[in-house]
Amino acid sequence: MLMPSKVKFRKQQRGRMRGKAWRGSALSFGDYGLRALEPGWVTARQIEAGRVAITRFIKRGGKLWIRVFPDKPVTKKPAETRMGKGKGAPEFWVAVVKPGRILYEMEGVGEADAREALRLASHKLAIATQFVSRRGAA
Amino acid sequence: MAQALKIDAELRETRGKNAARRLRRSGRIPAVVYGGGGSAVSVAVDPRKIAPVLHSEAGHTSILTMEIKGLETARVMLRDWQAEPVHGSLLHLDFVRVTRDTRLRVRVPIHVTGEAQGVKVQGGIFEFVLREVEIECLPDEIPEHISVDVTDLTIGRNIRVAHLPVSPNIKVLTDPDRVVAHVVALKAEEEKPAVEGVEAAAPAEPELIRKGKAEEEAGEEAEKEKESKS
Repeated sequence: MLMPSKVKFRKQQRGRMRGKAWRGSALSFGDYGLRALEPGWVTARQIEAGRVAITRFIKRGGKLWIRVFPDKPVTKKPAETRMGKGKGAPEFWVAVVKPGRILYEMEGVGEADAREALRLASHKLAIATQFVSRRGAA
Repeated sequence: MAQALKIDAELRETRGKNAARRLRRSGRIPAVVYGGGGSAVSVAVDPRKIAPVLHSEAGHTSILTMEIKGLETARVMLRDWQAEPVHGSLLHLDFVRVTRDTRLRVRVPIHVTGEAQGVKVQGGIFEFVLREVEIECLPDEIPEHISVDVTDLTIGRNIRVAHLPVSPNIKVLTDPDRVVAHVVALKAEEEKPAVEGVEAAAPAEPELIRKGKAEEEAGEEAEKEKESKS
């Protein structure tokens, strides 16, 4: 699963997800992509599940780019623990996604295959997404 | 060669984001016209006229005739545009005046034709690396796109900017050694077997970029122990 190799701080505050993704909102590498339509945290596990779904459907050929990276640690307190005694231990990693962000990009496959592969990947994510193609983009 | 399309524009007296938002609600978008020896003029245009231009074959390199009510009629070209990231609706446009005798620097799309031998026969993957190339030429000589035939491309071979078929009047500004497209061999499937135990286990923590982190961590642990004892 994706995670940073080095970090400056072990824990982070949760933050807010206001606004839209003005950066990373255009297709930069491939012909087809999956765009987020709502804000949310996409976990490293979800990103990996999406990648596996795409590669399994495509089988061979085609190229895939993952345009998000889970660089935010999320902490969790152990079960049945009293409140207090400090922040919990880092549990998993997430990518902060805002509406408009391109999550995956694909190239080297037909539109129908790309659409189906990205549809399968979208079911692994906890946010609403949309299929985008270079032909449809300005 | 791009064909001249006529668009109407109105002078825009108001400034600022409130006025711009009001304008967008009324169905027009703010734009600015500059260059060509004239002064910068703030205008309002209809985005429904511009969107087809951006989606056309020539795209943003199309030469347009802009009629600014009560001011001037100028030949313009789209220099920059801002679009809303989710729905793609246009928010603002930059137009630059073009004169027939001034050479322009524009980015022109590259189109590939044919199916590469490396894909068809050898089973490789075609990678289209560079989709636009920057050129310098007169406004009337701007090509809609630069076509390149990739039929003879085999695995390990590539097409560079220097190989692009361009007219002698056009000067290519992009580095001639940059790869436009190539065919690479298919890598072995990297799919890792999904082991439930490994998947479920929490990932190891990354290394901390800090001075004396071991000492600090030791200190933190000692404090926690003290707290738990008390």
